[in-house]
Amino acid sequence: MKYLPFVFKNLFRKKTRSLLTLGSILLPLFVICVMGTLLKTLSRDPSEGRGMYRLVVRHKVSLTNFIPEAYRERIFQLGGIQEMSIWCWFGGKYVDYSAKNQFARFGVEPEKFLKVFDEARFIEGTAPDWISDRAGAIVGDALAKKYGWKVGQKITLTGDIYPITLDLTIRGIYTAENASALFFNWTYVEEALPRVKGRIGTFYVKAKSAADVERLPKQIDALFENADPPTKTETEKDFQNGFVSMLGNVKFMLTGICTAIVFVILLIAANTMAMAARERVTEIAVLRTLGYQKSTILGMILGESLLLALFGGVAGLAFFVLTFPGFKAWLMNTPMAGFAAGIKLFPSVLAAGFGVAVFVGLVAGVVPAIRSARRSITDGLRQVG
Amino acid sequence: MSSVASVINSTTGTTLIRIDGLVKQYTRDTQVLTVLDNLSLTVDEGDFVALMGPSGSGKTTLLNLIAGIDRPTSGTILVGDQQVSSMSEAALAKWRSANVGFIFQLYNLVPVLTAFENVELPLLLTNLNRARRRKQAELALSVVGLADRMDHYPRQLSGGQEQRVAIARAIATDPKLLVADEPTGDLDSKNGEEILVLMERLNSEFKKTIVMVTHDPKAASRAHRLVHLDKGVLKEDVHAEKGKAVGMAAAISASST
Ligand SMILES: Nc1ncnc2c1ncn2[C@@H]1O[C@H](COP(=O)(O)OP(=O)(O)O)[C@@H](O)[C@H]1O
Ligand SMILES: [Mg+2]
Repeated sequence: MKYLPFVFKNLFRKKTRSLLTLGSILLPLFVICVMGTLLKTLSRDPSEGRGMYRLVVRHKVSLTNFIPEAYRERIFQLGGIQEMSIWCWFGGKYVDYSAKNQFARFGVEPEKFLKVFDEARFIEGTAPDWISDRAGAIVGDALAKKYGWKVGQKITLTGDIYPITLDLTIRGIYTAENASALFFNWTYVEEALPRVKGRIGTFYVKAKSAADVERLPKQIDALFENADPPTKTETEKDFQNGFVSMLGNVKFMLTGICTAIVFVILLIAANTMAMAARERVTEIAVLRTLGYQKSTILGMILGESLLLALFGGVAGLAFFVLTFPGFKAWLMNTPMAGFAAGIKLFPSVLAAGFGVAVFVGLVAGVVPAIRSARRSITDGLRQVG
Repeated sequence: MSSVASVINSTTGTTLIRIDGLVKQYTRDTQVLTVLDNLSLTVDEGDFVALMGPSGSGKTTLLNLIAGIDRPTSGTILVGDQQVSSMSEAALAKWRSANVGFIFQLYNLVPVLTAFENVELPLLLTNLNRARRRKQAELALSVVGLADRMDHYPRQLSGGQEQRVAIARAIATDPKLLVADEPTGDLDSKNGEEILVLMERLNSEFKKTIVMVTHDPKAASRAHRLVHLDKGVLKEDVHAEKGKAVGMAAAISASST
């Protein structure tokens, strides 16, 4: 398009103003990318691909209450269940209680658990190594990388909910979508603390089909409706989202903040474009006198607005992409490490960021563009300045 | 107020502009302001017409109507074979780009574009390729004697030079008709004189038909023909050989103050 050089020159007519506007698009867009990535990580369906059709059964009231292990058999009788494993939060302390030493530790039944958690792949050690060692544990590769753990290494977890010290040996390093937890054999705890036996935190259930996933939660909860205690069964995704809503509905907040940010950059860009068009009233009238069509004027102003938003937007995206590795590494050293392991550069987030820039460019430019195109030539020429 | 139609016709050559019964009114609330009242005028091809009159008499309005950037309330304006007063807005824009060059009092160059780029602006609307556009713009700039200032920005030029660039822009697409609204109004006499010499040359050498609004009797004296506009009607029409118009213009100017 032969008018492009002219549009470019117009864009940087007021250099300081244009740069300030670029900055006020760049930074918010960076923030939108960060928030979008967090949101996407939070709302991603963990049952993508292999790890499908999973349910979590827990105490109806709270995660901190226990349910009888004996429920297992009655649940199995409902049919449509591939496998289920005990899944107990252990808590405790690794080295100390500092943020950098927080990660998820669960007691499970290794053989059954691996059939439920079927997307996990061993990159070091083997499943039999773990299954055959009562004091064995497997750790996610994200976690192993963070602490520099190797197979064969000893790890000590000091219990707090459970008064026991676990001396575990790493028997395997697994990789999966979110490989940031430690799993050990729950039998270790049961044998050391007989009073714990028969009372567990949650069941991790793998259903056979999507239809079973639909059907089972209602049926399981109905089964124990009048029992003591009643249960609450959710799909794995709902279960994880439930965690998030416990954190004060972070998702809702993130979405709200993103929307507000888009609105603010829209106002800033619209203001810049309105000023730019107002300053050029006479000039636009001169162009129209020369024979420029209304549609050409409209296109030039809209194009300028779009370029402005795209420059700021693409710079914001580039800034995000460049700083992403550092951002992730930093998060891995916080209590959010488990969550951070699932974070990556999502193409959909970058695409959405780009979409926001295009949207802002077009919407901010449309009113000044239409006004400029519509103003009568003689009125424009009479305007002084 | 007598509303006698003032019909002023040139008598020689081919007619380029023919205006008949032109009325231009502005309506403010219920008040109707008649700026041009049943005005008729013809201008020959190759003529150089000076349009004089007191401030607010409607000179700019008339010029804008001839150039096709404004619409009459009633009446017809024929330029060449085009009925300017009845063309669609888009067709009019297209017509302007090929047929009319407009010169403003305040030059109205685009400050972020170089002299060359300013002159290229109307050429962007043609289907000439880059190289042809460049040649054409260079030619226009050399006609106004500023070929060596092509890459200068308006702020790096004097007022007289800016106006010459503006004239180069007006002639870039080689239109038949040039309209100028007080082209020397913002210049000192020396620079004004240079612009007038240039306009004369465009008329005699390049055969441009020129309609020029001016306050300045000296400027008007450059024209071949003097038209005086007052209170919405064309009152005077002086046919004069070049150089002879001076006395007449001065007389008119004196009589209107
Ligand atoms: N858009 C408009 N609305 C109302 N009145 C106008 C408008 N444009 C011009 N006029 C009036 O028309 C008259 C002629 O204006 P103009 O053609 O600019 O005169 P001149 O160029 O001879 O000084 C003036 O009285 C002016 O106030
Ligand atoms: Mg005027």
